[in-house]
Amino acid sequence: MAATNKGKTAKPAKVVAFSVNGKAVELQIGSEPHQVESSHTLAHTLRETLGLVGTKITCDNGACGSCTVLIDGKAILSCMTLTVECQGKSVMTIEGLADPVSGRLDPLQQSFIDHTAFQCGFCTPGMIMSAKALLGENAAPTEDEVKEALSGNFCRCISHYHVVKAVLAAAPGGSE
Amino acid sequence: MAQEYRFIGKPTKRQDAAAIVTGGAQYLDDIKFHNLLHGKVLRSPHAHAYIVKIDKSRAEQLPGVEAVLTWEDVPDWIGGTPRVVRVLDRKVRYVGDAVALVAAKNAQIAKEALALIEVVYQILPAVFDLEEAMKPGAPQLYQELPGNIVTAGTPAFGRNCLTEVVMGDVEKGFGEADAVCEGTFGYENIANPIPPEPPGAVAHWEEPNRVTLWVSNQASYLDKIILFHLFGKKVEVRTHGAACGGSFGTKLMSWQVQSYATLLSKATGRPVKIIFTKEEHIAAFVLRPGSRMHARVGMKRDGTVTAVSGTWLVDTGYYSATTQAQVAVGCGEIQLMTRCDNWDLKTAIVCTNRNASGSVRGFGGQELKCSFIPVLCLAMEKLNIDPVEFIKKNYVKPGDGYFWRDGDWYTYRGIDYSDCMDQGARRFGWQEKWQGWLQPSAVDGPRRRGIGVGVHGNADIGEDSSEAYVRLHPDGSAMLFSCITEHGTGQRSNYVKMVAEVLQIPMERITVSPADSLVNPFEYGPFGSRGTYAIGSAAIKAAEDARRQLLEMVAPRLDAKAEDLETVDGMIFVRGKPEKSIKWGAMGYERTILGYGRFDPDFTLANCMTTFVEVEVDTETGKVELLHVVNATDAGQIIDPPGLEGQLNGCLGSSGIDSAIFEETVLDPISGHILNANMIDYKWRTFSELPPIDNVVLETPVASHRFKAIGVGEVATSPGPMAILMAVSNAVGVWLHEYPVTPERVLKALGKINANGKVNDSAKVNAKVNAKVNAKVNAKVNANAGSGGAA
Amino acid sequence: MKPFLHLNAQTVAQAVKSLVKFEGRARLNAGGTDLFGLLKDEFLPEYPEAIINLKSVAGLNYLKQSKGILRIGALAKLCDIAESPLIKERYGALAEAAHAVASPQLRNVATIGGNLCQDVRCCYYRYPRHLGGPISCARKGNGPCLAVRGDNRNHAIMEGRKCFAVCPSDTAVALAAFDARLVVVGPAGERRIAVRDFYHPLGNALERDEIVKEIEVPALAGRARQSFLKFTLRRPIDFAVVSVAALIVVENGVCCEARIALGAVAPGVIRATAAEEYLKGRAIDVESAAQAGELALAGARPLPKNAYKLEIVKTLVKRGVLGLPLETAGEGDAGGPCPHGNPERG
Ligand SMILES: Cc1cc2nc3c(=O)[nH]c(=O)nc-3n(C[C@H](O)[C@H](O)[C@H](O)COP(=O)(O)OP(=O)(O)OC[C@H]3O[C@@H](n4cnc5c(N)ncnc54)[C@H](O)[C@@H]3O)c2cc1C
Ligand code: SF4
Ligand code: FES
Ligand code: FES
Repeated sequence: MAATNKGKTAKPAKVVAFSVNGKAVELQIGSEPHQVESSHTLAHTLRETLGLVGTKITCDNGACGSCTVLIDGKAILSCMTLTVECQGKSVMTIEGLADPVSGRLDPLQQSFIDHTAFQCGFCTPGMIMSAKALLGENAAPTEDEVKEALSGNFCRCISHYHVVKAVLAAAPGGSE
Repeated sequence: MAQEYRFIGKPTKRQDAAAIVTGGAQYLDDIKFHNLLHGKVLRSPHAHAYIVKIDKSRAEQLPGVEAVLTWEDVPDWIGGTPRVVRVLDRKVRYVGDAVALVAAKNAQIAKEALALIEVVYQILPAVFDLEEAMKPGAPQLYQELPGNIVTAGTPAFGRNCLTEVVMGDVEKGFGEADAVCEGTFGYENIANPIPPEPPGAVAHWEEPNRVTLWVSNQASYLDKIILFHLFGKKVEVRTHGAACGGSFGTKLMSWQVQSYATLLSKATGRPVKIIFTKEEHIAAFVLRPGSRMHARVGMKRDGTVTAVSGTWLVDTGYYSATTQAQVAVGCGEIQLMTRCDNWDLKTAIVCTNRNASGSVRGFGGQELKCSFIPVLCLAMEKLNIDPVEFIKKNYVKPGDGYFWRDGDWYTYRGIDYSDCMDQGARRFGWQEKWQGWLQPSAVDGPRRRGIGVGVHGNADIGEDSSEAYVRLHPDGSAMLFSCITEHGTGQRSNYVKMVAEVLQIPMERITVSPADSLVNPFEYGPFGSRGTYAIGSAAIKAAEDARRQLLEMVAPRLDAKAEDLETVDGMIFVRGKPEKSIKWGAMGYERTILGYGRFDPDFTLANCMTTFVEVEVDTETGKVELLHVVNATDAGQIIDPPGLEGQLNGCLGSSGIDSAIFEETVLDPISGHILNANMIDYKWRTFSELPPIDNVVLETPVASHRFKAIGVGEVATSPGPMAILMAVSNAVGVWLHEYPVTPERVLKALGKINANGKVNDSAKVNAKVNAKVNAKVNAKVNANAGSGGAA
Repeated sequence: MKPFLHLNAQTVAQAVKSLVKFEGRARLNAGGTDLFGLLKDEFLPEYPEAIINLKSVAGLNYLKQSKGILRIGALAKLCDIAESPLIKERYGALAEAAHAVASPQLRNVATIGGNLCQDVRCCYYRYPRHLGGPISCARKGNGPCLAVRGDNRNHAIMEGRKCFAVCPSDTAVALAAFDARLVVVGPAGERRIAVRDFYHPLGNALERDEIVKEIEVPALAGRARQSFLKFTLRRPIDFAVVSVAALIVVENGVCCEARIALGAVAPGVIRATAAEEYLKGRAIDVESAAQAGELALAGARPLPKNAYKLEIVKTLVKRGVLGLPLETAGEGDAGGPCPHGNPERG
């Protein structure tokens, strides 16, 4: 953004541009139906504007991790992120994990299937995204590191035990 | 020992697995609708009040608002058991009660419109405690329910619905006892299972009298039936069940949110979606019933229970939908775990000015036992009876009888679970750890360990009716029609497995119909523990019926009798002679075969879950840590190992074990606001605090259906809370009787906080606490815990 | 969330100008993890007209040490503070406090400035508008405090007046132990406020158009044994019931410097000065640590439902002074002689 307004009060932006799952997205900011409002969360924009409903909303208040997506590789809560503040960022959602060409699932996704690491499945996209961020930084996490990385993700069915196994098994540097 | 099957008992992929891990599974809020409006509910700030005046004109004028409805605008649809709850009423009965409904072009506008509705209330006194509510002169919630006593019994269970347990001669029984104990205990923290997906509905009304609903429920066919009656039997209702993001019994039905959406759609002629926020979910949807029991038990030295008398009071909040059913089932379940000849147990359901209680996993029995077992424990302590021996002796045995929910007497024809309890105890190391009542199993400085055990089981594995169709296709594939939503148990895939086993075709060749009430036969739904036996039976019978028809049809082509034919992988041949075979296509390519299966209720079998827990209590902070859990059960035949494992691990969450450790709904004692209606202040277990869980699952064939299996998933949450209370009491050497065992309660029990809130002198208190733990135990356990030293 | 005007500030000065312009009707957004709770639940009487994004101010997320002072930019993220080798090495209690906040996803965006300026978690105060709220109270200036007569299990046991909500910040507790100061910028220029003076019963010391720019953390003279202990009902995603930061410098077997800060017990962070004074010049052992725990309770006047916090304060102070972990076993006063022998770790 240009620094011409130095010393003046801050100005609102008119568009916001970022990428989602590798595709560029440019959205106008405003209150018309096709625009994003400045108060829209990223979770809302992903689901309602971009139709990416794989990202789930449970608490909509930062407490459960269901809405976890990656921004520049880090796990963040899309319900606690303003879309207008995503300018220039790279967002990855559950829909972006499988190979876009071959359709091949990410090893994490496959491992979740193989370990039946879900019951109702509502928390699963958020779990997988938190795990994805972990494996991006640490190819061979210990069990405790997996638990720590997932400690912000709610699962009421108690699929935790299967999830830990699934993540460890999917770690590229892991022994399994 | 269990039989070997091709599919049953093998870990197989859930049919919806790929959809779930890619974000493609469609939950209610993920479905796209054309021309959709969004609904919101204006909620009461008062626990009890009359609406004197509502002015909605400003809200109606807000651009984007399509409808605003108040009690004055809606038909007199009345729900609940008995029918006393209007969808919108001129009286509000809890903080959060619905006052008005708004439909607008988006949720934000609808929310803004709520703020523009002006309501004048006449505030009424409110009552939050069930015994206060029963007193003369207490505020009355409904004219129809004098004394706030909710009519006993549910019509759903018939005229003689079980409302009490009365038999034998209790006075004689008490006379025969070696110990008689009595007390009043409660399970009153009205915990909330909080499935992740909030309650919601989409309704589309079509004039003159038809409505289609998309629901996110556990029992979508039941929704249709309930709404049909709610709407005065004048509206044709169709329900679509989708993937359900958890329920734990709570989304058995959601008639209120469904009727809100229906009313708004009727008013606007457009589809309307309402999804509760998490805060609404916690403050204005289903809680566990509050349970308080005054009981007296007589016990003999050998653990025989000679008499039980008492009153079980159940706080249902502002209305009841299923509470009578929970009381009926609870009354049955208490008999399953207490083989006793003399009973005089009465019940009463009371309404109070808080959010309603309703159906939750553990359905009545969990609530009852959490209040009852502490009394049994007092007697066991007096007589020095090991609780594992007690439950082994007292859990229902073949040939025993009990009154079940419809008031009839049934004779149990299931298995004896003693062996299962023994195996669980062995896995847990009960014998080595048990030091006697109110004795810790290990002491390490300020940290004390304690163990406890709980048991639960029910005979509703065979409750209610189910129907299914199985359609065979000439290409060797099949389709199961069963009105089942997938809410996490994996049952949709399990029924496919059962059908695959009967038809001997790969599971991938079988699809299940969507849970659409228009195309499927009658189905009560996968709740309680009925999924495996009741619904499974219908699916199996439908598959068998279809298979029989197929074989009869092609028998002439093979010059054989149908009984001698076999079919595997879409080929049909004479048993033992697979060389000469024909394909299913022999039925003709312009044909399908439809089999029908039905299950009728059977209350003569029961499941059983025994849970052993070990806790560690920090006596200087009062914190309770869960160290180890062992669940022991017998499933008859495991259908899907990982699915079952998941269900059993579920013992921690959904207001199960943790409802004794940190889960509770906090109500303001003066105003009635639920103060922790969010997921920070309502505590739930995270990945950081996972105790090891061992699940001991036996497979003793049960006389249920073809695969000799019964459901055990639902009951996993139920034995845990009472086991925790027992374990903590043993650890600290003092009885704790309230759920959850917060640091405050533990410190109080230890005498570290006195009644007027002052802290007691710690040196004196610690000396006193220590004196309770005898030196022998200390020495023995310290050796166990491997911390050299303190003898 | 209800609409608002969204502004990206390029500089601190610009953000201050915007605050001045909106005369109290604008709010700063750093990580937003506390702010959005307010915007979503609309529990305050006024909804902000504008949100001023601070993340667009470049270079305000530094962690640097110069002349014995650690300087932390207000936009430094908690994940970076928790992981910083510099902070872990010299200011371990602060790294632990930052790590104890919320969850991994939240620490990835939450800032230390926001952590210090976050609003209280009182359940009456935060009761959401859409559930029949909000609830009026003294802190909002429109009613009496409901917590004094209601459910006050999480409220202050010390220094409450009019409002009994406790300071929820974890990092403030560690920072107060270090005698850290906030560098605050407003229309009239810069000023410094000690963390221990920053909070008062009805709010914090910021004027409505001031911004926290930096946190200055003076290093301790000697090598201190540091600990931050946070007692919660579950872990993580839970606010402290009680937290304690303890910095203990021992020379020649006696304590020459003791800093003990208590969190979640008062509207601000409490320094247990009586306990600190008592420890100076003494050997650190189970008895002196336990005595420090008793002294830390000086001035405590619990409400009807929170006396249990006193016992937890005592325990945490004792364990913190001894350098024991929260979930410790056998420092000995309940089970007999101390099984660990030497309580001083490492
Ligand atoms: C689920 C959950 C769990 C949490 N758990 C914890 C916990 O365990 N411990 C804990 O301490 N906190 C916790 N929090 C609160 C909060 O997330 C953290 O305190 C976080 O550090 C706040 O930082 P932020 O940058 O996101 O603040 P923001 O939300 O951006 O800001 C918070 C407030 O401070 C103001 N502000 C921000 N920066 C400045 C500045 N530089 N100068 C002046 N004012 C400023 C904002 O206007 C706003 O009013 C939790 C929050 C959630 C949602
Ligand atoms: S403690 Fe403070 S914030 Fe809470 S109700 Fe009282 S005045 Fe309001
Ligand atoms: S939905 Fe975003 S954290 Fe719960
Ligand atoms: S699988 Fe249901 S919440 Fe995690």
